Amino acid sequence: MVATRARQARLGGMRRREARAGLLFVLPWLLSLLLFTIYPVLATLYLSFTDYNIVQPPRWLGLQNYRTMFTADPAFWPSVGNSAYYALLAVPLGLAGALGLALLLHIRAQGMGVYRTLIALPVLVPPVASTIVFIAMFDPDNGLINALLQTVGLPTMGWLTDPTWSKPALILLSLWGLGASALIFLAGLHEIPPALLDAAAIDGAGPWQRFRHVTLPLLTPVILFNLVMGVISSFHIFTQALVVGGTTGKPLESTLMFMVHIYRTAFRYFAMGYAAALAVVLFLAVLVVTLVIFQSAHVWVYYEGSRGSNRSHTETACRATIVA
Amino acid sequence: MVTFWTPGGGGDFCTGLDNIARDFESHHPGIAIAPTQCGTGEQEFHEVLLARIAAGNPPDAVLLWTSPAALAARGALLPLDALMQHARYAQAENWPPAVLASCRFAGQTYGLPVTAGSYGLWYNQAMFEHKGIPAGRDAFPKSWDELRRLSQEFTVWKGDTLQVAGFIPWHAVEDLPLWSALNGVQLYDAAQRKYTIDAEPNVAMMEYAVDWLNQEYKGDFARVVRSGNWEGYEVEGRQPAFVDQRQAMFVTYSWNMGLKIFAQSAFPWNIARLPVGPGGTRSVAGYWPNWLALPKASQRVEQAFAWLDYMSGVGVQAWFRNFPDLPANRQVPRDLLPTALVDSKGKAFAQDIMDFFRAQLDSATPMWDSPVQDFATDQLRRALEQIMYKVATPRTALVEAQKACQSALDKVLRARS
Repeated sequence: MVATRARQARLGGMRRREARAGLLFVLPWLLSLLLFTIYPVLATLYLSFTDYNIVQPPRWLGLQNYRTMFTADPAFWPSVGNSAYYALLAVPLGLAGALGLALLLHIRAQGMGVYRTLIALPVLVPPVASTIVFIAMFDPDNGLINALLQTVGLPTMGWLTDPTWSKPALILLSLWGLGASALIFLAGLHEIPPALLDAAAIDGAGPWQRFRHVTLPLLTPVILFNLVMGVISSFHIFTQALVVGGTTGKPLESTLMFMVHIYRTAFRYFAMGYAAALAVVLFLAVLVVTLVIFQSAHVWVYYEGSRGSNRSHTETACRATIVA
Repeated sequence: MVTFWTPGGGGDFCTGLDNIARDFESHHPGIAIAPTQCGTGEQEFHEVLLARIAAGNPPDAVLLWTSPAALAARGALLPLDALMQHARYAQAENWPPAVLASCRFAGQTYGLPVTAGSYGLWYNQAMFEHKGIPAGRDAFPKSWDELRRLSQEFTVWKGDTLQVAGFIPWHAVEDLPLWSALNGVQLYDAAQRKYTIDAEPNVAMMEYAVDWLNQEYKGDFARVVRSGNWEGYEVEGRQPAFVDQRQAMFVTYSWNMGLKIFAQSAFPWNIARLPVGPGGTRSVAGYWPNWLALPKASQRVEQAFAWLDYMSGVGVQAWFRNFPDLPANRQVPRDLLPTALVDSKGKAFAQDIMDFFRAQLDSATPMWDSPVQDFATDQLRRALEQIMYKVATPRTALVEAQKACQSALDKVLRARS
């Protein structure tokens, strides 16, 4: 009994020492989290209720910045509309494109490593450089895109000079970087047990049925991940929009994204307090959308072995077979 | 050691500033200038500058591309009036009044407009002569109506493409204060601290432009934009249509006289004063400056101002030889000429053009003098686009811009008081 207690005391002491050591190891990270993330977030929240220009001390305004935003800022609603339009189209297109690319890269073929590298390469190109290349490609007179459209007998567009086509052009530009999402999808595809696909094939499921009823359900956790990351990054589109439309979102505010509005309010108009209020609203909007996605996830995301899901790999394969 | 920052600038520009600094040091043995810091890397210049001012360790002197009035209204700059009184070059009387006005706020001066590119109406003399139109400066239109009639002589459409433009009416936001002044009013009244964007003559000015676009440019500004680069600088790899002889007349800045594409053009060109609108009585000019200033909490005020003073009168000459930005200070010798223009068109022509642009500064209208300058510029650009693309009528767009600008101005002034 005494020996047991002594052993427990020794173990308890060891655990405490381990805990202390662990805490010391994570302390630098915790400190940086507090200093460079938590503090700025709280400071932003506080500054959003003030008039602040960095040089002079903040002046408390209460809710005035928020009132101005919703009632008196002529650029607020256009920038909200542009960002929402961009997110609604760019995210699904990006997901579909990345999944399509991943499926192509998943094919067993010679030189696949080279293709995978090529697909991932655009991610390494600085956004300013790639945007400038796209501006040249979208040039209404001398650009590659209009030249291709003309070749196949389609009407040409004004693209970035035309308020109707500038946002679709920005969305097309966003597809340039879908290699990163494609690689994540590819990793997900590698995780799907071949036995399930084989079983479905033996039972008569064709390629579409196998994809629809085996591959896609098993990829839903990856889709969820890419969806959330895509939504967040689409709300944060900045560099491309700024390079294309400047601080006014030309033409006709059609490329004025919410992040550009925040940027110009802070660093061009020196209204840091108001910019902080805009940032808070953006944070809340992204938070709500992300929560809605997570809330909906239990309906459409399949986690292997999870309680929420009543399906197993085998059941999924069976469903595919039945459908086939 | 005096520290000096600029918001950006390429290699030649920054090397040039360093060379001026070495020259300054040789004339002022007691003062050393640190290598110029051109830009603040990946961080936004104003973010870093304002944060350093707030922290009490700003650079001793700065070059600004933002109106000093805007920074002064936020308490970020030191007033220079006392220092200017004893200056060699930077005394108030050595600057064109309207240009110095861009540095003034609440009765004090917060910057020195070291260069101020002035505006002129450039025209292609070969195109004029080809049509038998007198090409001398004195014969150039004196009113908007005359300019509009002349423009029609040159404008050629091929289907939906504008092949050749005569003169495309005011579509650049930076020029709007100038056109407003030519029509007898202003967009901003610094003395009264009031925006007057929606004043009747300004509404009439924009209605005039829309009518002109409808009549001569098919009422479709998007098609005009798609048809070419009608600006005075390269846009997305396209050189100005004027250089390609696809534009007979356009408004641009004095620095183009020293740039090779204009100076060495294959055709003769000249510059005229801007015609007067129906509401105006005299021709005025515009300008676009670079400003020198001392940030609040500058550690070496006297030494830093000596550097700015030298730059205003002497250093700016080397700057001009490097890049032909027009020196605004009256102490700068009149025979300072842009080399590229002298070499290609001769000294007499270069002197005439240089005299013209310097005289333009003396008849300039106040610009860049609002505490919410950049906000107002963006609001005006928005209004201008809405009018040109016919999303809003001139009155609606200008009223909205007026409301936003006055509200932003009042907010800044309230915070200050």
